[in-house]
Amino acid sequence: MTNAAGAAPAIACEDLWMVFGERARRQLDSARSGGGSPARIAGRLHDQGLIPAVRGISFDVKAGELFVVMGLSGSGKSTVIRCLSRLLEPTAGAVRIAGEDIIAAPPRRMVALRRRKMGMVFQHFGLFPHMTVAENVAYPLKVQGQPAAARAARALEVIELVGLAGREGAYPRELSGGQRQRVGIARSLAVDPEIWFLDEPFSALDPLIRRQLQDEFLRLQSGLRKSIVFITHDIAEALKLADRIAIMRDGEIVQIGTPAEIVLHPADDYVAEFARDIPRGKMMTVASIMQPVGAGGEGGGEDCRGPALATAMSLDDALATCAADLSPHRVTDGDGRVVGTMRPDDLVRALGAVAP
Amino acid sequence: MSLAESPAAALAAPAWRLGPGERTALVVVLAGLVSALLAPLLPWVAAWPDAWVLPVTERVGSGLGWFLDLIKPAARLVSGALAWPMAGTTWLLAEAPWPLAFGGFVALGLWVGGPWMAALTVASLGFVLASGYWTESMNTLALVAVSVPLALALGLGIGVLAFEMRRIRAALQTVLDIMQTVPTFAYLTPLLVLFGFGPVVGLIASAIYAAPPMARNVLLGLERVDPEIREAARMIGTSRWQRIVEIDIPAAMGQILVGVNQCVMAALSMVIIAAVIGGFDDIGWTVLLTMRKAWFGQALLAGMVIVVFAMLIDRMSAALAEPERRGDPRIARAVLGVSVLAGLVSWTTGIIPGAAEIDLLDPVAAYVDAGLTEFTKANGAALDQVKNTAMFYGLLPLRIGLDDAVLPFTWGFTWDRGMSAWLLGLAGAGAALMLWRGWLVAATVLLAGTAVMLVGITQLPWPAVVVAAAALGWRAGGWGLAAFAGLSFLAMAAAGLWDRAMLSIYLSGAAVLICACVGGALGLLAAVSPLAWRVLRPVCDTLQTIPLFVFLIPMLMFFQIGEFSALLAICAYAVVPMIRYTRHGIVSTPADLVEAATASGATRWQMLRDVRIPYAAPSMLLGLNQTILYAFAMLVIAALIGTTGLGQAIYIALGKADLGLGVSAGAAMALLALIADRLVQGFAAERRRALGL
Ligand SMILES: Nc1ncnc2c1ncn2[C@@H]1O[C@H](COP(=O)(O)OP(=O)(O)OP(=O)(O)O)[C@@H](O)[C@H]1O
Ligand SMILES: [Mg+2]
Repeated sequence: MTNAAGAAPAIACEDLWMVFGERARRQLDSARSGGGSPARIAGRLHDQGLIPAVRGISFDVKAGELFVVMGLSGSGKSTVIRCLSRLLEPTAGAVRIAGEDIIAAPPRRMVALRRRKMGMVFQHFGLFPHMTVAENVAYPLKVQGQPAAARAARALEVIELVGLAGREGAYPRELSGGQRQRVGIARSLAVDPEIWFLDEPFSALDPLIRRQLQDEFLRLQSGLRKSIVFITHDIAEALKLADRIAIMRDGEIVQIGTPAEIVLHPADDYVAEFARDIPRGKMMTVASIMQPVGAGGEGGGEDCRGPALATAMSLDDALATCAADLSPHRVTDGDGRVVGTMRPDDLVRALGAVAP
Repeated sequence: MSLAESPAAALAAPAWRLGPGERTALVVVLAGLVSALLAPLLPWVAAWPDAWVLPVTERVGSGLGWFLDLIKPAARLVSGALAWPMAGTTWLLAEAPWPLAFGGFVALGLWVGGPWMAALTVASLGFVLASGYWTESMNTLALVAVSVPLALALGLGIGVLAFEMRRIRAALQTVLDIMQTVPTFAYLTPLLVLFGFGPVVGLIASAIYAAPPMARNVLLGLERVDPEIREAARMIGTSRWQRIVEIDIPAAMGQILVGVNQCVMAALSMVIIAAVIGGFDDIGWTVLLTMRKAWFGQALLAGMVIVVFAMLIDRMSAALAEPERRGDPRIARAVLGVSVLAGLVSWTTGIIPGAAEIDLLDPVAAYVDAGLTEFTKANGAALDQVKNTAMFYGLLPLRIGLDDAVLPFTWGFTWDRGMSAWLLGLAGAGAALMLWRGWLVAATVLLAGTAVMLVGITQLPWPAVVVAAAALGWRAGGWGLAAFAGLSFLAMAAAGLWDRAMLSIYLSGAAVLICACVGGALGLLAAVSPLAWRVLRPVCDTLQTIPLFVFLIPMLMFFQIGEFSALLAICAYAVVPMIRYTRHGIVSTPADLVEAATASGATRWQMLRDVRIPYAAPSMLLGLNQTILYAFAMLVIAALIGTTGLGQAIYIALGKADLGLGVSAGAAMALLALIADRLVQGFAAERRRALGL
């Protein structure tokens, strides 16, 4: 998951502000000179009639990481992703892609980056109404200057991947919401971007297709290792997919952490509220709560008894295994190597409503 | 003309808290009163003194003349360049054997709109051919065919530019607004000086005139494209140019094609109007010529040709926006092939008679002529009666006031001061009654209306008019509009155009009044009776498609040259928006409002009066706004059949190539139209706010 130490993160943003309204930059400067927390500054801007949609956010996305942004409607998720891809010019702050400051990048460089490196799936799909499914999907390749035959072949490939084979000739207006969304996903996949921005890519799908696509997505990601910023407001989806999750509220990030951290140690009631109703036993795996070898689990579970648990095991299954014997268990990975220990009290805390 | 007791009554109620409407009313009444009292003492109040007229028109003329001289070489280069495509299209359409063009259009119709459109094309062009005006029509069409691409390119360019450059968007939109209000004839004078006599003037004029509707629709279409589509294109890494051409414009195509339709219609209208310059054997010129010679049968036939043409072009360009109607391109190509063949055969063998030899409908024209002569002989007295009644009892008093219009010769008695006093007393009493009920604004309207009837619009003291315009401006749009309205009127006075401006206001005012009443009533009727709408709708559609010019023919046939004919022509053209918007406003009352009223037991009539009409008020005001703009547009065209005022000035200036007069009078017309537009829009916006829309 992590890169070699010292390499720049795939995406980094620092003290990012996006304020909508007249003369936003000047107003933000003067509001910030008054000092105080981002919320105080935002309050001042609000009184001026401006909309501070993103308020001094910082985070890194490591190379190959799947970073999920969660939050209620209107909390600023789409705005953040638009700043990262520079569809919006941030009012303040820095965005670096693989160490390169893209806010300062000239338009020509942005065009090159977007053609080769970045892809984006839009919340409302953003399909071109005058193009068929196949033309929509092939358009990024056309912009790259690929020959027509190669374009068509590649388009067909990704259209099949999202399960839309046979609808290549349809126009977006002839498709259902879920089908449109899959066209949007296919279009952004066509160029195989290194950095992928996804704004609620599965929201319009029915549960069945959604689960299929999520699984497909995970399978793809385990092979391709793209750096991904994924927006959702479905906590189950977030826990299933994420390497790390950022929870947003009112334009600020209230917590960043692994799924386990979010569930086991929510930073405040807002975050806890998100995690409250999830069926943890089903959603979480042993890997997310075990003590890795060498980090409290020490030398490989000498004091452990009972059968070993697998990392991919769900907590419910783990509980069934451990129920007979409430002592630490060894955890092994797919190849049977011992990678950590699982303490029963962690298991109980993860499953129960016991807050830290 | 004293307004004695009235304002005293208005002032006698100081206890009121005056709203903006009341304050405006008071200012207007006071200005009227003061001017009326001062006019006998100070002659400069009664009429703008000649000594105060600045040489504005001369300056404008010489300045513009100098500038035009400067760019004349470039202009001549342009007209030289345009001569080629002109010659080419003229040859193809008018000079080549007619089966070629005929079949070409049928093929086009077939491709654009399927078999129905092809049938319509055959019928329309068949009529044109039979009328004997084929060559003239094709000459007109050749001009349109060259000017439309220019206008489309210009409009597309302006629209895209306005969209891409946020900063200049507002400015460009204002320019488009102004271009829409500049009267058609006013374009022609400078172009005439620039390009010299010839068809190129009409060509360029129509390209300039037809570009704004295209630009507007392009801008509107681009604004309506879902921003995420544009963002998706950017994320894919398109260059700006690529995005505009490959994504934005195709995504906005529906609206852009609406613009194409409007653009083509505007170009046709202008090309026909530009025929007044003469020197080109086109269909507009034919109408003009036959009208002047009072060959009404022929004029009517030529007018019908224009109407048929306009409808055909309208339907065809509207069908462009509906791709599902496209016909089979193979059949279209086959038709085209056959027509080329027929053209060749006709050219080499002469088997098919030339267009000039076909005059199947001449007997019809002759018959109409004879019938018309018969009719006017039998009913001339009655027609004159109608005309004179309207003139003497309606228009003339409105123009010069009862005090001058009432003469023994027409009314049977002489107006004297006593009658004025009586009338004012009566109005004053009515106003007092209204005041007592608390209707200050209505009282002012009554008083002002009476005063205008008494004095006549053209003889109102100018300070009162300026103050009233500014006060209304303030009421409708704040201080900016007040200053704009007041200063515009002052500028017209200073330029020596006051009398003409007042004449224009009088005639268009009369027309707008009639249109508001008649159109409002018809709109109401159409709203409550679907049958009435089914009858009215095609009439409205047709009236809106007909080029302005054609309205003059029937009026002239029955009522000869004069203000009355002009009034009728203006009304016939300007009444349409009033009907449409009134109906639309009433019909589109939200269902929950209607249900609520029904639930509270409102009768049909109560529902109309208390719910539907108040709700429709903003829409009706917009209709009124359109009606005013239409009336101004037609007023200028009506100068051809004898109106006085600014329109006439523009027309005369065109004849004499007098830049100063033409441009100043055109600007004055545009100012009047802009003021009226802003006033009514302001009131409409306020009504919408009041209704919470
Ligand atoms: N172009 C804009 N101009 C003004 N305000 C905007 C603009 N775009 C977004 N906002 C505001 O910024 C705030 C955050 O919007 P954003 O679209 O980022 O929310 P979101 O978290 O993506 O919500 P959702 O889950 O509904 O998509 C909202 O209050 C929104 O009204
Ligand atoms: Mg969003």
